[in-house]
Amino acid sequence: MGDVGIVLVGGRSSRMGAPKAGLEWHGSTLLRRTVGVLRRAVDGPVIIVRAPDQAVPETPDDVLIVDDDQEGLGPLQGLAVGLEAAAAHGEMAFVCSTDLPFLHPAYIRKVLACFDEDTDVVLPMVHGHRQPLAAGYRTALAPQVQRLLTEGARKPAMLFDVVRTRRLDEDALLSDPALAAADPGLRSVLNINDPDDYARARATAPPTVDVRCFGTLARSGGYDGHDGRPVAAATLEGAARAVGISLDQHVVAALNGDRITRDGHTPLMDGDRVSLLSADAGG
Amino acid sequence: MAGGSFGQALVIDLDVGGGDPLPLSDDVLRRYLGGVGLGTWLLHELSDPAADPLAPEAVLAFVFSPLVGTPLTTSAKFAVVARSPLTGMLTDALASSHFAIAGKLTGHDAIAIRGQCDHPSVLLIDGDGARLIDAGETWGMSAAAAEAHLSAQLGPGWRIASIGPAGEAQVRYATVSHDGRHAGRGGLGAVMGAKRLKAVAVKACTKVPSADPAAVLAAARDLRARSFGPATAKYRELGTLSNLLAFNAINTLPTNNFTTSTFADAPKLAAEELHDLRSVTRNSCASCAIGCEHIYATKDGGSARVEYENVFALGPLCGVSDPDAVLAASVRCDDLGIDTISAGGTIAWAMSCAEAGLLDAPWLRFGDGTALLRALDEIGSGTGIGPLLRQGSRRAAAELGGDAPSHAVHVKGLELPGYEPRTLHAMALGLAVNARGADHNRSGAYEADLSGELDRFDGGDAHVAAAIVTEDRAAVMDSMILCKFLRGVFDDPFEEWAGLLSGVTGWDLDGAELARTAERIVLAKRMFNLRAGWTPEDDWLPPRLVDNPLELSSGRVAELSSARLRAMVDAYHVARGLDPDGLPDPAAYADLQLTAPLPDPAPDPLPDPAPDPHLSPRPKVRS
Repeated sequence: MGDVGIVLVGGRSSRMGAPKAGLEWHGSTLLRRTVGVLRRAVDGPVIIVRAPDQAVPETPDDVLIVDDDQEGLGPLQGLAVGLEAAAAHGEMAFVCSTDLPFLHPAYIRKVLACFDEDTDVVLPMVHGHRQPLAAGYRTALAPQVQRLLTEGARKPAMLFDVVRTRRLDEDALLSDPALAAADPGLRSVLNINDPDDYARARATAPPTVDVRCFGTLARSGGYDGHDGRPVAAATLEGAARAVGISLDQHVVAALNGDRITRDGHTPLMDGDRVSLLSADAGG
Repeated sequence: MAGGSFGQALVIDLDVGGGDPLPLSDDVLRRYLGGVGLGTWLLHELSDPAADPLAPEAVLAFVFSPLVGTPLTTSAKFAVVARSPLTGMLTDALASSHFAIAGKLTGHDAIAIRGQCDHPSVLLIDGDGARLIDAGETWGMSAAAAEAHLSAQLGPGWRIASIGPAGEAQVRYATVSHDGRHAGRGGLGAVMGAKRLKAVAVKACTKVPSADPAAVLAAARDLRARSFGPATAKYRELGTLSNLLAFNAINTLPTNNFTTSTFADAPKLAAEELHDLRSVTRNSCASCAIGCEHIYATKDGGSARVEYENVFALGPLCGVSDPDAVLAASVRCDDLGIDTISAGGTIAWAMSCAEAGLLDAPWLRFGDGTALLRALDEIGSGTGIGPLLRQGSRRAAAELGGDAPSHAVHVKGLELPGYEPRTLHAMALGLAVNARGADHNRSGAYEADLSGELDRFDGGDAHVAAAIVTEDRAAVMDSMILCKFLRGVFDDPFEEWAGLLSGVTGWDLDGAELARTAERIVLAKRMFNLRAGWTPEDDWLPPRLVDNPLELSSGRVAELSSARLRAMVDAYHVARGLDPDGLPDPAAYADLQLTAPLPDPAPDPLPDPAPDPHLSPRPKVRS
């Protein structure tokens, strides 16, 4: 079993004035980005925890959606539902909210890598705050969280006092070379709460990625020696479009030589290497 | 009798120099179609699967198909089928062009050959029947030279399939060649050489009508138009060599005998780099609209056919990045008449052994193009380490002993093609379970891995299903026969193929029947192997690839655990209706319409690898 990603999308988004999950993000949505980042970082499934009947933007078919039937009990309730659903798929879960527009896969990997057999929660301490909604949890905690809720607890902080919590400060996080290179300012934990936050985040330049085209695509996409072509693009679709290629049934993409996808909404990060290949690859 | 066929095979006995017709019922033709399917049935019926493939009694079959001779693009192909001297199991290889058309129009759906000539000979088949002539000075020539010589000698209309010097010397991965194309894998050329048969020459003398010529013509026009579309663009524009740089980018390019999955110098060998610098021309087989053959100039002023597998096997797999050396090695393989994949795989094994101090050949090092060419020369001449390398990596490793087998990367004795199984889990299964051994043409499961629709690092049930789908499709394409480079143009393959076959044969086929045909052909191959000595341990990957993590350029570690592979192989066997001993349900076996009874399970698993593990006759017939 691999690690699991959990996104909590409940909450009223009252200061934002609109559901954060559906906020536009470079031709996609904020939720779609969050799900895509989790998919890049965990081996197991991604689980969305939503309020009953809450509309969520379109996500890939393999994303699991579970309902949190108890309204008004706060994130601890969503955490309990998410961990319970995740227990069948993995021992550890990275849990986050959907309002982290700069969440980076390297951050998630670092958090999950800090689990050991004596750890139930990996809790980052960044920018002077605990980050319970950008943290790692052992999925076996689900009954314990449920018990706390029954006893009246509402905030994740109450969990940290009764389980084995490993706190990670910024130095500990940035001791990871991959994270230090990818997100030196730990913007992964920056959340957006109101339209001004959103506007500032949205105005940030999209990441610069390196696009390489192979085979017949090299002719249309402009094969550029061995170094590829730098383009600014927040999604795979944007990167392909930037080199004049449409992600149709004859094209697939690989990120950093890793998983292969046709999902144009896949979020990109600075420094990503995007390989565009013929879907008819093979002998 | 169905359209597109003659209802008979010609069975040649080289001991007496003549041939007799073997009636093929409409039922058998419909069950097995032609090509690989019909060839498998013929091998069951005409040969003892446990007999030594290099013994006179071994059977070598050239098999045509219902579609040969029609205007359907890419249909001019033929299968060569025998028990492999490399694997000890069934091997079936395809080649293309005019030999297929002329061979079929001798009036036979297949030509099966057994016995042994008393001196090097050429088999002629035309309207006057079958006869042998002296091979004369062609013995010792390359296949291409022999073909040219015999064409001049015999006159117009003769089409020739020949072996090179490696086939004559019974190198276990020698090929049968026609018009520069090779029925390459499994050592069919050695089987032919053991019969002292330099070449088979055929000349058309009759015709065979399709059941509905107008429908076939319309289908041919449609298929031709579709064959110019984007699904075949890669083959037309750059050829299969365009895989090389792409595979390198996704950690799928086996390098230095499968110790890494990327090759730093891959761009030096890439089609994207070399095409504009070296491409001379592009060729196609008879009746083909795609034209996948890309011919590159060589350093000495000659030319070489370039495709992914020969460049992979003689390049990255041996660590060689000099394009002149790789192209020269490819030409040398063609001249000798040996399979480039097994040649490269065996030499890469030897390089591993030399570096590990297991083989006394200090000159043989990864990355050394001169050493690569010397190794090929020694294979050709039978000097130095040539006699060892002529056996293929499995037998050579067993002969060398010690830790040498751990460096041999093969399945069932067949060296792996250029697909890294640890980063392609559906393909890992396809390679492990295929009847022919590690092969990318009988299992195209890499398509699923590269589709983006499943996780190529997380093999499971979906990967098993995908491997079965591609294996089934290959079984039908290789039997009717159409080139697999067309596979991407079909939206509903079995239904569309049933339509093509119905127009030619007159059978009221549908996709469901063709799907059952695919399963039957796959099972028939497995049953041949079972009769030849297959055990469940043969459906596995070599130790280098299992429980041996591979670090990727992304930082991730890719691994194919034995538990995961075990689960996939077991699930595959269950899905194929096989029990743990590889035996099918008796009803499924009866559907194969074989004379031989259902085999018993193997009494004792053989150690793997071991010297000649499948070449000792082990009759296992259920009484």
